[in-house]
Amino acid sequence: MVICFHSCDSVAFPTSSLQHERSLSRRRRWRWLTSAPHLPSGRQPTRGFQIKNSNGHPLNAASLQDGLAENLSAEESVEKRSKDGSKQNGSTVSITVVGASGDLAKKKIFPALFALFYEDCLPKHFTVFGYARSKLTDEELRNMISKTLTCRIDKRENCNDKMEQFLQRCFYQSGQYGSEENFVELDQKLREKEAGKLPNRLFYLSIPPNIFVDAVRCASHHASSPTGWTRVIVEKPFGRDSESSAELTRFLKQYLTEDQIFRIDHYLGKELVENLSVLRFSNLVFEPLWSRKYIRNVQLIFSEDFGTEGRGGYFDNYGIIRDIMQNHLLQILALFAMETPVSLDAEDIRNEKVKVLRSMRTLKLDDVVVGQYKGHTKGGKSYPAYTDDPTVPKCSLTPTFAAAALFIDNARWDDVPFLMKAGKALHTRRAEIRVQFRHVPGNLYKRNFGTDLDKATNELVIRVQPDEAIYLKINNKIPGLSMRLDRSNLNLLYSARYPREIPDAYERLLLDAIEGERRLFIRSDELDAAWALFTPVLKELEYKKIAPELYPYGSRGPVGAHYLAAKYNVRWGDLSSESS
Amino acid sequence: MALSSPKCPSSQFALRPSPAPRSQRVAAASSSLSCPPIPRRLFSKRVSSQSRANRRWNVASVHDARTLPISPAKEIDLKKVENGVSSAISAEEYRDLAGLSTRENSTVSITVVGASGDLAKKKIFPALFALYYEDCLPEHFTIFGYARSKMTDTELRNMVSKTLTCRIDKRENCSEKMEQFLGRCFYHSGQYDSEENFAELDKEIKKHEAGRLSNRLFYLSIPPNIFMDVVKCASKSASSANGWTRVIVEKPFGQDSESSAALTRGLKQFLVEDQIFRIDHYLGKELVENLSVLRFSNLVFEPLWSRQYIRNVQLIFSEDFGTEGRGGYFDNYGIIRDIMQNHLLQMLALFAMETPISLDAEDIRNEKVKVLRSMKPLQLEDVVIGQYKSHTKGGFTYPAYTDDKTVPRDSLTPTFAAAVLFIDNARWDGVPFLMKAGKALHTRRTEIRVQFRHVPGNLYRSFGTDLDRATNELVIRVQPDEAIYLKINNKIPGLGMRLDRSNLNLLYAARYSKEIPDAYERLLLDAIEGERRLFIRSDELEAAWALFTPLLKELEEKRIAPELYPYGSRGPVGAHYLAAKHKIRWGDLSSEHYKI
Repeated sequence: MVICFHSCDSVAFPTSSLQHERSLSRRRRWRWLTSAPHLPSGRQPTRGFQIKNSNGHPLNAASLQDGLAENLSAEESVEKRSKDGSKQNGSTVSITVVGASGDLAKKKIFPALFALFYEDCLPKHFTVFGYARSKLTDEELRNMISKTLTCRIDKRENCNDKMEQFLQRCFYQSGQYGSEENFVELDQKLREKEAGKLPNRLFYLSIPPNIFVDAVRCASHHASSPTGWTRVIVEKPFGRDSESSAELTRFLKQYLTEDQIFRIDHYLGKELVENLSVLRFSNLVFEPLWSRKYIRNVQLIFSEDFGTEGRGGYFDNYGIIRDIMQNHLLQILALFAMETPVSLDAEDIRNEKVKVLRSMRTLKLDDVVVGQYKGHTKGGKSYPAYTDDPTVPKCSLTPTFAAAALFIDNARWDDVPFLMKAGKALHTRRAEIRVQFRHVPGNLYKRNFGTDLDKATNELVIRVQPDEAIYLKINNKIPGLSMRLDRSNLNLLYSARYPREIPDAYERLLLDAIEGERRLFIRSDELDAAWALFTPVLKELEYKKIAPELYPYGSRGPVGAHYLAAKYNVRWGDLSSESS
Repeated sequence: MALSSPKCPSSQFALRPSPAPRSQRVAAASSSLSCPPIPRRLFSKRVSSQSRANRRWNVASVHDARTLPISPAKEIDLKKVENGVSSAISAEEYRDLAGLSTRENSTVSITVVGASGDLAKKKIFPALFALYYEDCLPEHFTIFGYARSKMTDTELRNMVSKTLTCRIDKRENCSEKMEQFLGRCFYHSGQYDSEENFAELDKEIKKHEAGRLSNRLFYLSIPPNIFMDVVKCASKSASSANGWTRVIVEKPFGQDSESSAALTRGLKQFLVEDQIFRIDHYLGKELVENLSVLRFSNLVFEPLWSRQYIRNVQLIFSEDFGTEGRGGYFDNYGIIRDIMQNHLLQMLALFAMETPISLDAEDIRNEKVKVLRSMKPLQLEDVVIGQYKSHTKGGFTYPAYTDDKTVPRDSLTPTFAAAVLFIDNARWDGVPFLMKAGKALHTRRTEIRVQFRHVPGNLYRSFGTDLDRATNELVIRVQPDEAIYLKINNKIPGLGMRLDRSNLNLLYAARYSKEIPDAYERLLLDAIEGERRLFIRSDELEAAWALFTPLLKELEEKRIAPELYPYGSRGPVGAHYLAAKHKIRWGDLSSEHYKI
């Protein structure tokens, strides 16, 4: 089986010196443990090193308070044992998807697990359990899953074989989310499959927030790994505001330590969000520009071209600000704006992100525009209004669109507007970061640009989805005898340069969780800071019953967003005639 | 003809002080003209009197532009400038205004001296035709060929017509246009040193001018030894009586500082600086023109444009053919004089100059000359020279340089050279500027490569990347396949964290479907319009020679033997050692480069 780990080399790093392995160790850790126990012990990456590393930072105080350090050493001893164990009869990972019959599980989690298996990125011994209330047999679960599994476009060989092998490792346990007995039964099943190997357990909670805590309680009491690690992935929503989020955290901490909780924000698993740090920190040409001195504004834009389509029940309780802005866009903003971390270790990066969040001005109602889509008829086809959704109250004021201007009050970003915009039922589906630079001081070519110099500034666009791309708009001369200037792009289109399909965000995040890499998961202090920013405005919106500006389904959103931008001398980059 | 005027976007800046593009303005003033030769100065001067103080140079040259057949020495001119700056300007302006109002009555006669030569056939006539095709020439113009051979007008037209091509993107009416163009071409045969022959030419020109305000452009496409004769005869016997007279001269501008100074002195006996248009056709290349636009109209490059971020700059010229039986001229000069001292050095000066006060010719040339004068004269140990030797590949034998029948068997003339230069100013202190130029190499290419420093404290240093090799690089490819690209590091998509160098790029062919005009078109048009930005001023020339002359003399005195390299190879390995001495790697010879 050593071979199969090699074929997951897409995951591996090129090794060149021992020094490198320290930082590689996380990702490679289990690979060595499980597939190459015979490696010279001098090359065995030690986790202890990393702990010293991260404990060395004063900013870790936050996580230390959470009992992180203590837990880390607990985990460390587990790792050691697992290393020893692996020499005898190996370790195993059991992945339990709680809420296995749900939409997310079917569409994202199982396919991601299969993709990891297909790429040989899962440990040799692993088992996948589905857990839900519905009565299903293993066979029925497999049938259900198999409908959504796909093989990577670029490697279709043996796909059916692989799929069969994967499905054979999938099992089902039905039970109530609040029933300790049912989790005891699950535990027995898990043990059966673990067959005496060192057990590591990962629970993926793909369930509504109201049963989160029950499931966590039961799982931790009755289905934790006795000797290996137990980790729990939780999905948004992490509460509705500062209070409910803090309460949720408190509950979770009754049964789990911070280090066991993997709060997933799947935007952080997107390829270009991952690449954001690489761009900034491994290129000389961007970092000098990365401040208020050169950057005029930053725009974080998310748009979907469909509405709630009969699934508005959950959404109506949350609204677009909680659903997209407070987590996905804010996380991207923090990554974008953070100072250079001490290292790429999870704690170092999260320390920097939390500093950004805590430096931000609390959002004010004046700096927010909310909208809601209304019905629209185009080309003979009628698109429904948000409130036409039968799962949404007729008088709902929940925003399906929001734009906001945020500010980071630190030395680097003082007075640079960070504009966010998120909406459903817009004209396009897109997520991107646009960085608009200042105009050239004393521009020699100003006569060529006409009166509005701001229209001719450089712009860096990082398109997260779809059609991943990075491009820098520059001014250059139109070839020819005249001196006419033009904005053209220096660009990198991923599909042109990298023909391989880009893995889904969930694959990366699941793999990271299995490997204990926390970089892309949200720490509780980050979550607190994020809620602190948005909670007052959310409360005010609800308290004052602010009516959202209506916009037609499939349009470019409410015009209010333009006025908000204009207030800060910004123009939305995605709505200029040029980019459409 | 008014219709055709928008077609020629004119070489002016679209929005000069007056809000309307110049071509439109002129079309309004005189609908009969499509691409009128009003010097841009006219407008800039009128509007911005505040900048007059900054324009001492400009003032001086404006004065020089008086079109009377000139013999007064330079000193007298300078005195005049001191005495009556403003009157000189108004004289010029008056003439321009007169030109504007009597537009129908002015004409340009372009005389190609050396009309039967190679450059004339391959470049000058086709460029003139392209300008005509694009409606960029004044309505009234006449083209004269002048050479020693006896030819009729028809024979000249036949000769010219063989090399004319129509732009790929606008083939309509091409043959019609070609006929019209050829109808304006005439030939006059004569000796290069005969005043009588030039007086005859003058008569011919006058005939075609038919009493219009006469402007005359002479393009000297002749060997350097007869330069002076022609200039003397032309200025004495064929200068315009009431319009301007300008002379375009081609390299070589001498062999070294002394001969160049002598040539300049000689020219100045008959012409003033402002009448002399020293052409360096590299300055007319699209991407060289774009260099200033990139630097000065984008915010993102200028902060990086200094020793703090740039590790080195490489200017690379290579040809994939040798002298091929035409080594006679070349052997007297060698690659350093032929390419480095002019083309590459000019590109370097544009690249490295400080921000000029404006885009006016004098302001830009002032900045360029500052760069040249800040440079250290080149040292022998910072130069590697090479000469190609014969090479057999795939059954085909390529000749050595010395196999060329026009080259002495024992010639030591370099056909390849690499050099390291430094600019001792605050911006560039310690940054090596590498130049490399060669014939008979594996590829044909001209490019500027800017290698940036490595990221200090790189967080990703542990990912197996050699930090020096994984730095950013900006490449401006001048020819062929014009392109600009910036090499950046990014993550290879996938679950791992592997870094990769990829390009943010702009390939001109993909973005701009129009054919890019030849450098000669731009430069001829500029000369007709009196735009001097892309021509070399005598003090620039002097500074350029000062840099290279000591080295050239030392090479010749010490009879330094060039390192031999096979025809079609990547040049002598010495170039790598030279780069290594300054801790540099040639960007164009990295293995990576070939994958792209």
